[in-house]
Amino acid sequence: MRLELRDIRHVYSPGTPFEVKALRGVSLTVEPDEVLGILGGTGSGKSTLVQHMNLLLEPADGTVLVDGVDAARLKKSELRRRVGLVFQFPEAALFAPTVWEDVAFAPRRLGLEESEIGDRVRESLALVDAEDLKDRSPFGLSGGEQRRAAIAGVLAMRPEVLVLDEPTSGLDPASRQKLLRLIQTLRDTGTSVVLVSHDTDEMAEVADRICILEKGEIRAIGPPADVFYANPDFAPATVSTVAALGDDGHGIGRPVRFGETLRALAGLIEG
Amino acid sequence: MKRANASGSDPRILPDTVSIACEGLTYSYPGRAEPALSGVSFRVRTGEYVGIVGPNGGGKSTLLRLLNGLLRAESGKVMVSGHDPSESPFQVRRRVGMLFQNPENGLVAPFVEDDVAFGLENLGAPREGMRDRVREAIRAVGLVGYGRREPHTLSGGEKQRVALAGLLALEPEILLLDEPTSMLDAAGRREVLYRMQGLRGEKTILHVTHHLEELLDADRIMVINGGKLAADIPPGRLISNPDLLAKNNLVLPPLLRLAAELGLDAAASRTPEDVAQAIRERVRRRAEAR
Amino acid sequence: MGATRSFGQFYPVSSPLHALDPRAKILATALLLLGLFFVGSAAGLGLVAAAVAVLVAVSRVPPLTFLRLLRPVVFIVALTVLFQVLFSREGETLFAWGILEIHDGGVRLGLFLGLRILLLVSVAALLTATTAPLALADGLEDLLSPLKKVRFPSHEVAMMMTIALRFIPTLHEESQKITKAQAARGADFSEGGPLSRIRATIPILIPLTVGAFRRADELAEAMESRGYRGGEGRTRYREPRFRRRDAVFLIATVLVLAGAALL
Repeated sequence: MRLELRDIRHVYSPGTPFEVKALRGVSLTVEPDEVLGILGGTGSGKSTLVQHMNLLLEPADGTVLVDGVDAARLKKSELRRRVGLVFQFPEAALFAPTVWEDVAFAPRRLGLEESEIGDRVRESLALVDAEDLKDRSPFGLSGGEQRRAAIAGVLAMRPEVLVLDEPTSGLDPASRQKLLRLIQTLRDTGTSVVLVSHDTDEMAEVADRICILEKGEIRAIGPPADVFYANPDFAPATVSTVAALGDDGHGIGRPVRFGETLRALAGLIEG
Repeated sequence: MKRANASGSDPRILPDTVSIACEGLTYSYPGRAEPALSGVSFRVRTGEYVGIVGPNGGGKSTLLRLLNGLLRAESGKVMVSGHDPSESPFQVRRRVGMLFQNPENGLVAPFVEDDVAFGLENLGAPREGMRDRVREAIRAVGLVGYGRREPHTLSGGEKQRVALAGLLALEPEILLLDEPTSMLDAAGRREVLYRMQGLRGEKTILHVTHHLEELLDADRIMVINGGKLAADIPPGRLISNPDLLAKNNLVLPPLLRLAAELGLDAAASRTPEDVAQAIRERVRRRAEAR
Repeated sequence: MGATRSFGQFYPVSSPLHALDPRAKILATALLLLGLFFVGSAAGLGLVAAAVAVLVAVSRVPPLTFLRLLRPVVFIVALTVLFQVLFSREGETLFAWGILEIHDGGVRLGLFLGLRILLLVSVAALLTATTAPLALADGLEDLLSPLKKVRFPSHEVAMMMTIALRFIPTLHEESQKITKAQAARGADFSEGGPLSRIRATIPILIPLTVGAFRRADELAEAMESRGYRGGEGRTRYREPRFRRRDAVFLIATVLVLAGAALL
């Protein structure tokens, strides 16, 4: 599915002393089978932006198009099934007596048959590697386990685009790695992923394209090498290191991911 | 007595007093078969900056809570700042400040300055001195002018700094930091770490974290895994030991990992420029060797 | 993200009324609320109304903002006035049409009762508009502290109020976030009859409640770590001092009430 945001503007508390222009005309497209990374500091508008992708927030101006169709004309439930959104700290919304029941919530709302629901739940739990948690109470789980259960709850809708807002926030390194691998798996099996994060290093490992938001506008968008090497203040450690070499790094190209950067630098040292 | 830090330069002279001493510390959570901590023994000297790392559920947070009396040890001896936290927790808490992981749930009052004053109120400090101490603590964390702000309007980094100010107002000897930056974004982490770095040398600090790069300047790092003290070594030795890291589920951040896998001194790699410089050195030396 | 207007009633400006000791204001409010029921004449009510108008002016709260605080009771006042006007048979007939009769006694009583309700609410609104919630909590704790002698947990009550004030905006934001998260999973809060709408709030109430308990746990840990052990031996950062002007204010209140009751 191609998800297009055209010239989106959003204002909080318009006309009051608290008015904030969160988005000032943002246009971008989420292509099929890609991981789009959205970077930006606090106040850049990234959380506001992604909430427009399933129209949880409505733009003051501009349109959201799903495969060319105005999203405002689609049934909300249909739109939110196709564009899944996982908020930051999603475990705050776990509520059912068991993980199984909680993950089944969204498929139930879709009116599916019990057997279909069962399949979906099993499939989603398998994707996040949480099958053994299905009969546990969500409230007794560790932070990482809760996070996975919450994500499974959205995956159960089989969305075509999955938006993740700071999915690794507060997790330990092992859980982070698992989540990054999940993102890659989703992309490889046909679900586009929009990844909002402040962690450039993580983004560098999984993103196919990077978009940098600043004060409600797009500062840069494109392939990771282009964006990171042109915007050093947002660059991951790998890019910053190569950039710091300056002329001494001549000839090793513009690596972004850890593996390729390591190989390039090792090659430089060994000559 | 002189001690060298991670990169072997700039020895710091630490006083010879012991601030924290544990022997055979053991604790099990009610209803759990496995002890969360068993037979842990160590000492921390006054002014030391000790990092604590290890996998989740391994006992790090339990250890901190045993040190300030939130939990009572089943067996073993604990001495913190001259007191036993299970016998006189109040005495310990006047001298020990603990910063928690969640910036939201450590703030108790509807305004910043009232929250910073909370600890002083609990201690029965005289009202005359409070204003100054609160103001000084707020200044020390870089939040001048925030006194009348309400917590829910603050960013994560600002909330955590308010919590830190609340601790500093009591002028504690010891600071226990339980993953204080793990729920913050990059900017918030920088703010909080900067203020923490300013306290080195003044206070005895125990810093639990998953981010190894935050501990490069620590005097030593204790690795806690499965309730046991798996290692107690300077940062340089931990970072350059891939087996030790792997055995304890410790992950190096990309910059340090890059340095380590290129065979450079990871512990001296604080910035990308450091690594680039080290690479240049290697290239130059190789060229000279030819 | 979007700012929330917290403490909806408190109007943060500087005025002589704002600067008064909260205890004096709480006492004056209590006296007025009770005393208004002893005022029997229109003239007396008029005196109190004039006093309230003066206080509003002195408080530097914009009149329009203040009137907005009274909005919730407009309906009740209108109902009260209307009830008296339409159904009272006191005094001379002013207007008659079939069974509908309007007597001047009814009009007078209706206006009197309506004005009284307005004054009661105005007095309470003045208190909350000119006193920061934290100061209110402290003031209440002080006034209730003599009750400690009969084991009334006045410190704990005040502490609970402070914590509630601290977390209300946070919980509000949390509930909005949870609502959005459930909406993203297909929850619909606007469809169906009353029963299904109530059921639809379960995925919001449960996480909110569980989250609140977890918060309480973490907060308790933090408070204990900071040396909290109840009200014993605790001093106060904000100690309002009862000054001469507070006493003057209280005395003036009593005089106005006495005058009104006697009129």
